[in-house]
Amino acid sequence: MPSKAKGYLALVLHAHLPFIRHPEHEDFLEEDWFFEAMCETYIPMLDIYERLTAEGTDFRVTMSITPPLCNMMADDLLRERFRRYYSLRLELAEKEIVRTRNTNFYEAAKMYETKFRRIRELYEDYYHGNILEGFRKFQDMGKLEIITCGATHGFLPLELRREAVHAQIKLAADDYRRHFGRGPRGIWLAECAYNPGDDAFLKAQGIRYFFLETHGIIYGSPRPRYGVYAPVYCPSGVAAFGRDMESAQQVWSAETGYPGDHRYREFYRDLGYDLEYDYIKPYLHQDGVRRNIGMKYCKITGKVGLDEKAAYNPAEAREMAASHAGNFMFNRQRQIEHLNGFLGRKPVVVSMYDAELYGHWWYEGTDFLEFLFKKLHHDQKTVKMITPSEYLALHPDNQVVQPSMSSWGDKGYNEVWLNGTNDWMYRHLHKMVERMVELANKFPAAEGTLLRALNQCAREVVLGMSSDWAFLMTVGTAKNYSTKRFVAHTNRFNGLYEQITGNRLEEDFLKDSEWRDNIFPGINYRVFSTAEAEKAMRG
Amino acid sequence: MTSSGKIKKGGSGPGDEHKSLPEAYGVTEAALLPRDPNWMFIYWEITENSRANIRRVHGEDVFSKARQVIRVYEVPAAADGDTPGKFFDIPVMLEAKSWYINVQDGGRTYCCEVGLVLADGSFLGIVKTNTVNLPGGRVSDFTDEKWMAVTEDFDKLLQLSGVEYIGKGSGEVAKSLAQRWEMLRSVFSRASSWGVSSMASPAPQRPGQKKDFWLVADCELILYGATEPDAFVTVSGRKANLNPDGTFSMRFALPDGAMALPVKAVSKDESGSRAIDIKVTRATNTDAK
Repeated sequence: MPSKAKGYLALVLHAHLPFIRHPEHEDFLEEDWFFEAMCETYIPMLDIYERLTAEGTDFRVTMSITPPLCNMMADDLLRERFRRYYSLRLELAEKEIVRTRNTNFYEAAKMYETKFRRIRELYEDYYHGNILEGFRKFQDMGKLEIITCGATHGFLPLELRREAVHAQIKLAADDYRRHFGRGPRGIWLAECAYNPGDDAFLKAQGIRYFFLETHGIIYGSPRPRYGVYAPVYCPSGVAAFGRDMESAQQVWSAETGYPGDHRYREFYRDLGYDLEYDYIKPYLHQDGVRRNIGMKYCKITGKVGLDEKAAYNPAEAREMAASHAGNFMFNRQRQIEHLNGFLGRKPVVVSMYDAELYGHWWYEGTDFLEFLFKKLHHDQKTVKMITPSEYLALHPDNQVVQPSMSSWGDKGYNEVWLNGTNDWMYRHLHKMVERMVELANKFPAAEGTLLRALNQCAREVVLGMSSDWAFLMTVGTAKNYSTKRFVAHTNRFNGLYEQITGNRLEEDFLKDSEWRDNIFPGINYRVFSTAEAEKAMRG
Repeated sequence: MTSSGKIKKGGSGPGDEHKSLPEAYGVTEAALLPRDPNWMFIYWEITENSRANIRRVHGEDVFSKARQVIRVYEVPAAADGDTPGKFFDIPVMLEAKSWYINVQDGGRTYCCEVGLVLADGSFLGIVKTNTVNLPGGRVSDFTDEKWMAVTEDFDKLLQLSGVEYIGKGSGEVAKSLAQRWEMLRSVFSRASSWGVSSMASPAPQRPGQKKDFWLVADCELILYGATEPDAFVTVSGRKANLNPDGTFSMRFALPDGAMALPVKAVSKDESGSRAIDIKVTRATNTDAK
């Protein structure tokens, strides 16, 4: 079905959080990262898809849901804790519409009450406590393409062993099958970090495409004929799509990006600090310390002090989001018309963002997306939304280029994950992987307790491989937590390794580790064996 | 008490997260990692055993007399056939155990060997790394016939593709990502669930835009105590979680005014109970300057 459009827009959202789950604590602060993203991004996105579908508005989105995130969404303990999280907020929101009646904050209070009520409805009635059901539904309709990511968002260019790369990809593909009932067609390489040759492992799992930062394509060899406006095939045959910087800048830029508009919600004024202590205390963590609770009544207002912020007006903010969506669409139309003329081929503009930008970081970002979907569908014919799979089906004729090593991190390569704050990790990480490979090669068919211990070793290794720990050390935030997580997984692995090689397995230690780090219930340690990696590489 | 700071004390069980990592693994080995077109990172371990072997052959004082170096080899491309590769030495202390290596040319293959340059100028390699292919960091010189574009067109294409954003553009994103985590931190780190920072008070915010001499101050309240480890303790009617040794602590915001903190403990068999009532009053006066 050749379309009259002059080109395509592929919107790609990367949803990821590190695996944070602490059954050993009744109440754990860092788990809130997940609950906040659920309330502000993941569930609101599903809400949009529900509405668009009901209205008959067609749309296309590509979204990664990383394996750690999938495992958290499907985890019984976190599901129960998430219920507690949104229920408390709904209870507070209900009290707030009474308290704020006849004040400037009433509209904002009403907004939260509606929002949390809807979250409950979607979470419980639509998706039965597992929002993966929702994402799967829209994938099956062909509107959403869910892609995977390395098993624990591992930073592949800094792995020494091919077995580690294979394990990250294979575990991810298996986990994807478990949740979505078919294999993944595409993958988001963590941090878009690409090491030439790693695409062979993608191919082995039937993955057809991945994404690169602009210079991954531009610096590829030979020169890419269409720049980032057409995918290229790696020598392995896996396609690589390059990021369009113009549309990225339009949203992200610190100076001119949309999220800074003064009508949008102010992040730093939060009810957790603003309300009377006794009143807000039941909604804080058990320690009773004031923290953000995610409900905010003020708008950015302008360059004024935090105590001079004006009341948030949801209707006015929504209008602004609509206007920004119109601006974004206008710019894509002009861009695509121009590229079409210049290239002599329908360009595909790949707009890649962190999913949590929309809703969590930029509160009205989800409204912006909803307006953008509607406008693109109803108001114009120049730009057609597309998924990478659809694009490759329509345009299988692409140049073969070996992309360059690259990442979307600061300065474009590996420095964010390899610098003075975190380089000490790699000695231990690599040793852990090497020992894991040794175990997998040594025990081709373990059973019973040994099998459990080896599988747990594999869980600890992959959790240690999360690029999040190195990232948090570089940024200097949550450094304490990320350091302790890396050390904890390394120690648990080394403990198990010594017990296995010393033939003195301790059931209590194993049980405790299994209870804490339960990611990938169906993991098979043999994924780390050299034979498996070699087989994958041969294709 | 929150979960905050609840790490099992003592013992070497699996909950012992702060147990430090091994200082060495008892193997002489080295690894090389790519950072960007001009930088690599090397780490190494040289065991006492390896050192002793070298001393045996080359003399007891070999380590103090020889120059300790990282020899960086440029591995010749397959196309260059048997051309011997170039190399250069970086003086280091073997005890450094890791180093960042700067090279002039991206897009090439490197490997390193940590070793000694002996008095006679010969090189004694101790441990060799893997090889690393560094990215070129620039537009390729190769074009393929089928997909060739005229040169001016390619330059324009580079502009359209946002070539001026390379590095900068990604930096922008990283900055935004950092801001995102910064926010999360501002939300959570005031009492991070693990250790140190849970005891650190939130840093008072310096008011923005004010040029005059300034002062901000605030305070919070920490309540602590101890009882039998299996007792049931409440503070203001809320259950306090006890450490294995029976100690407990809770942290409260402390607004102006009076605050009552009744502490009750009941023994496990409910035969004994004790109560301590603590009343705290805070009054803050700020001079009117």
